[in-house]
Amino acid sequence: YPSPMTPMTPITPATPASESSGIVPQLQNIVSTVNLGCKLDLKTIALRARNAEYNPKRFAAVIMRIREPRTTALIFSSGKMVCTGAKSEEQSRLAARKYARVVQKLGFPAKFLDFKIQNMVGSCDVKFPIRLEGLVLTHQQFSSYEPELFPGLIYRMIKPRIVLLIFVSGKVVLTGAKVRAEI
Amino acid sequence: MTGRVCRGCGGTDIELDAARGDAVCTGCGSVLEDNIIVSEVQFVENSGGGSSAVGQFVSLDGAGKTPTLGGGFHVNLGKESRAQTLQNGRRQIHHLGNQLQLNQHCLDTAFNFFKMAVSKHLTRGRKMAHVIAACLYLVCRTEGTPHMLLDLSDLLQVNVYVLGKTFLLLARELCINAPAIDPCLYIPRFAHLLEFGEKNHEVSMTALRLLQRMKRDWMHTGRRPSGLCGAALLVAARMHDFRRTVKEVISVVKVCESTLRKRLTEFEDTPTSQLTVDEFMKIDLEEECDPPSYTAGQRKLRLKQLEQVLSKKLEEVEGEISTYQDAIENELESSRPKAKGALANLTRDGSVEDTTSSVFGEDDAEDEELEAAASHLNKDFYQEILGSGLSSSSEGAGDPDGDARPPALESLLGPLPTAASLGISDSIRECISSQSQDPTDACGDGELDLSGIDDLEIDRYILNEAEARVKAELWMRENAEYLREQREKEARIAKEKELGIYKEHKPKKSCKRREPIQASTAGEAIEKMLEQKKISSKINYSVLRDLNSKGGGGLQEEDAQPEGRTATRKLSRRKTPARRHRADPVTGVGKRLRPMVSAQPAKKAAAGEPLPLSPSTLGAEPARPTAVLVESGPVSYHPEDDPDEDDPDEDDGEPCVSALQMMGSGDYGCDGEEDDGY
Repeated sequence: YPSPMTPMTPITPATPASESSGIVPQLQNIVSTVNLGCKLDLKTIALRARNAEYNPKRFAAVIMRIREPRTTALIFSSGKMVCTGAKSEEQSRLAARKYARVVQKLGFPAKFLDFKIQNMVGSCDVKFPIRLEGLVLTHQQFSSYEPELFPGLIYRMIKPRIVLLIFVSGKVVLTGAKVRAEI
Repeated sequence: MTGRVCRGCGGTDIELDAARGDAVCTGCGSVLEDNIIVSEVQFVENSGGGSSAVGQFVSLDGAGKTPTLGGGFHVNLGKESRAQTLQNGRRQIHHLGNQLQLNQHCLDTAFNFFKMAVSKHLTRGRKMAHVIAACLYLVCRTEGTPHMLLDLSDLLQVNVYVLGKTFLLLARELCINAPAIDPCLYIPRFAHLLEFGEKNHEVSMTALRLLQRMKRDWMHTGRRPSGLCGAALLVAARMHDFRRTVKEVISVVKVCESTLRKRLTEFEDTPTSQLTVDEFMKIDLEEECDPPSYTAGQRKLRLKQLEQVLSKKLEEVEGEISTYQDAIENELESSRPKAKGALANLTRDGSVEDTTSSVFGEDDAEDEELEAAASHLNKDFYQEILGSGLSSSSEGAGDPDGDARPPALESLLGPLPTAASLGISDSIRECISSQSQDPTDACGDGELDLSGIDDLEIDRYILNEAEARVKAELWMRENAEYLREQREKEARIAKEKELGIYKEHKPKKSCKRREPIQASTAGEAIEKMLEQKKISSKINYSVLRDLNSKGGGGLQEEDAQPEGRTATRKLSRRKTPARRHRADPVTGVGKRLRPMVSAQPAKKAAAGEPLPLSPSTLGAEPARPTAVLVESGPVSYHPEDDPDEDDPDEDDGEPCVSALQMMGSGDYGCDGEEDDGY
């Protein structure tokens, strides 16, 4: 029987030069953190904000959401805040500032220190099927493919340091980037 | 006579009984060593009259239990812990492996993996069972045995994804690339379980052929191999007239029924499914299909495109209808008496704008009310235009377009809902302002930049008094238990504080700070490390010392030499124990080996040449960065710490002294270890 492993069609996602093919990944999610610079009383915030939930037994932070831009924030009692769900860097910054404003209005001397984008997630479609077994053969030091556990191939690129989830349908999810240029 | 120093009396008169394997001090009579490895064979008489050889079995891996009497007790614990871990691991591997019917070679390989894992401290913080399972599965993958991770998780009753996580970590850390699973491997196993009797081989062959076909059709990428096997076997069984139901296949293959059906449907979609049994066995269709997920994605895309095309067609039709409408209206108007100039303009513009508004109404996919409202607004809009210059209601969008554009553009932009235009202007304003603000924010003034934030919107997120009260009540009710617990905890802490027995239960830091081994030569360091680790009392230290004595002798001259040389020597010295460490996975030397600092440069109190440590070679203990940092310069030498260290063990007392005496530094006691707060 012919060996099933030989990639008959050499279709593999290219190295970072794939951008020249005209496919631009769309940003799906940005995670950022900011320090509000003052200690917060989570109970006050949770009880006086409309869109906040706080369940101290389960998790020690207030979960607040705003509609525009549609994001969620985790606000900790130390004054640090994590903002997720924005689709662009500017939106993330705007959302973080809105949360800070809410906290300010609730009576805490909130500031806006050290806004930093921690993670950016993008996705794109290369529009052709990808042979994952062939990819794991040629790039085995970077790829990890376990069909029993996860249908996609996990490709850890060293430079830039991002992780790609590559699926056989041609869809690719990129994550782990700190700046847009990396994606 | 090995010439050691007795712990009890300090005498050097030690008698070695080769036959019994003992080392006894003739001064105080304490037994310093027993179970020394001897090369003689002695026989003893049994009660039944037979004779048996004197001796103990020493296991291959790890030191056996060497009950060194007197002293060395806590040191034995250090050695035993590692040895115990390995023994335990070996036992569990065998236990699991036998359940999986793995042969001895596989089990040994798995144990090797386990040893590697232990030396890299991958067992810390993880259940031993998980690590064992991961080692076994790794062996299965590398050997190509038909064992699934699911089998292991079945045996252990652990979630398969948890095992998978451990397995992936193990594979990554050990840099072992397990080849991808080939579903063909599982066919014989499942076929056997499905009991096809004599036709087992034929059915397997058919199933294999089916699998090949599936692979060519891109059905197997990203799918669990067991599901594919199940589908192939089912079809193969039917082809050979075996009535195997879906349920039977599922119970063997361990996938869900819906999965199996889905695979079957996918296979049905391929052109191969149209062939008859005989044709299939002979012919191989050339064309290949795309993977099902790809085709599904393409279909969705196509559907969306179709929708768009349809909606565009709708618009066009609408457009045609409205042009007819206008034509009719025009005819009617022309048949009516002509109105005055301004009004005529209005109506004419109004008709133009009506068309566009209808087009945009379709575009927006809003309902007619919005359209009517938009057209109503536009009427006002136009009156404003004709009355008094251009209004600024669509400033954001309108401004960039300039005022010089003819009203047609306004009419195009007019029907857009004003909220949208406001939104655009907001974000544009915000972009411009945030661009100018960014440099100031980057300066870190930390003040909250309020530009672009609508205060009203923010206020909407805050509850008013009554609402806050209601929410507070609800929340209190929900979390009453938690609050109660908190209060009790605080009361307890307050009481303890009063009584003065309040203990801060900090999370225990597990790092045990060992004293850094201070040695002047590589050989000395090795000896001290061996003492600390108690790897084996069976090593002939005299031979070891001889090996290293050259290095020690060489170092004597080094005293007088400039430190530039010592730097390089230190480097080389550091490397050699590291190399030893690598070769000896059992001992996990890295855990205990401290970067060596020579006493000499410390005495010279020279400018600290930064000794570039390679902490990674020492097993990368992040829990002791301070120790590493301390060692980075010669100043780390703590002569006062030496007396703290016991010398519990009898082995290297004498060589330490001799080497040190060679060096001429009397500062070192014998480095034992400070272990477990002993």
